[in-house]
Amino acid sequence: MYLVANIETEICAATSCKLCTQYCPEANTILYDNEAGQDKGLKYGSAYVAVDRCKGCAQCVWVCDNMAKHNAIKMEMIDQIGDTALTENVTYGEKTSSAVLANPVRGQV
Amino acid sequence: MSLDYVKFTPGFGKFMPKEYRDMVEHGPFGKKVSVSQVGTFKEILEEHPMCAGCAMTLFIRLAMVAFPNPEDTITVGTAGCGRLAISQAAIPFVYGNYGDQNGVASGLTRGLRLRFGDKPKDVVVMAGDGGMADIGFAQTLHSWFRKEKFTTIMLDNEVYGNTGGQESGMTNRNQVLKMAPLGKKFEKMDMLGMAKVAGCAYVATVVPNNPRRVESVIKKAVLVAREIGPSYIQAYTSCNIEYAIPTDKVLEDAKTVETDRYKFTEYITDEAKEYLSQLYGYKEYLPKPAAAVEKQ
Repeated sequence: MYLVANIETEICAATSCKLCTQYCPEANTILYDNEAGQDKGLKYGSAYVAVDRCKGCAQCVWVCDNMAKHNAIKMEMIDQIGDTALTENVTYGEKTSSAVLANPVRGQV
Repeated sequence: MSLDYVKFTPGFGKFMPKEYRDMVEHGPFGKKVSVSQVGTFKEILEEHPMCAGCAMTLFIRLAMVAFPNPEDTITVGTAGCGRLAISQAAIPFVYGNYGDQNGVASGLTRGLRLRFGDKPKDVVVMAGDGGMADIGFAQTLHSWFRKEKFTTIMLDNEVYGNTGGQESGMTNRNQVLKMAPLGKKFEKMDMLGMAKVAGCAYVATVVPNNPRRVESVIKKAVLVAREIGPSYIQAYTSCNIEYAIPTDKVLEDAKTVETDRYKFTEYITDEAKEYLSQLYGYKEYLPKPAAAVEKQ
């Protein structure tokens, strides 16, 4: 098993920094959902990781901890991460994207 | 080389892979996108086999987002790590034989100008320090002396990363590498100075730990190359394998190197400055309004 990045929505949606989306070396991997915080009563959207594209470099963790100082990203084992975003379940909208969460080992919802 | 090129043939859309459909429907083609919007649209760069945490990949990704007209852009590369990612984007990629990339781009630019006239078609060369400063040195410099109108971007990782860590012309003096155990005996080549001497209209150094600056520099370089003359960007993109940088410390290294020896510099000719401020309204190039004169 291997490590992938996991973003805590509650912490991420409290601010609108979006730094990790800009610093990830992989394209289309850290995506942003403008409505992620709404149902939890938070002001902003949240970044999320399409874990099937994540190579586990942890650059986003460094950016979130040291540049943004939010500590919202942790590296977790792919089989213990719970339901998460996968590229096949991501839909793009007008200036946003969202994903139906699914088990990364089993795949499609 | 046009918007039609990235559309589906009628009736075939539903058979296309999801990534391709997303790219056509939600990609940056025909729209204005910026680095601050990444994560909300489908980027043209796709999955690629470059190492995890590679700073070069980060730079290439930001560059692909920053291209002013991706649907009218062709990239040219050569052997080296960079082409592994550049060739995985949804824009045409031409592979120049090792060292030939600036020669190939010269012909390509001239051909495109003959075929399409004034309609801008951007040619962007992205190659490593070995391909540009060592093996392709003559062709790079000659293309600048000939004032060929395209952008040259050096992905400077200061080593031959793809072949086991030999020193390149851009490696720093005394740097010990796996295939340079006694350390390099010569200084790093001054490609920026040579670019200015050879007549580049826009020259800049950049480190990818500031995405918005990368975006602005790439946009300016590509726009200047459309009308004024050659432009050159030298980007520090560390090799975390050959320089043994832990992947989560790559940006820390970029920050240290930026403050230490790779400061952001920008050189622009007066002609290019005027062109950018008049046509594209770049704020930093607009003349400042004269201060109000106090009445006596």
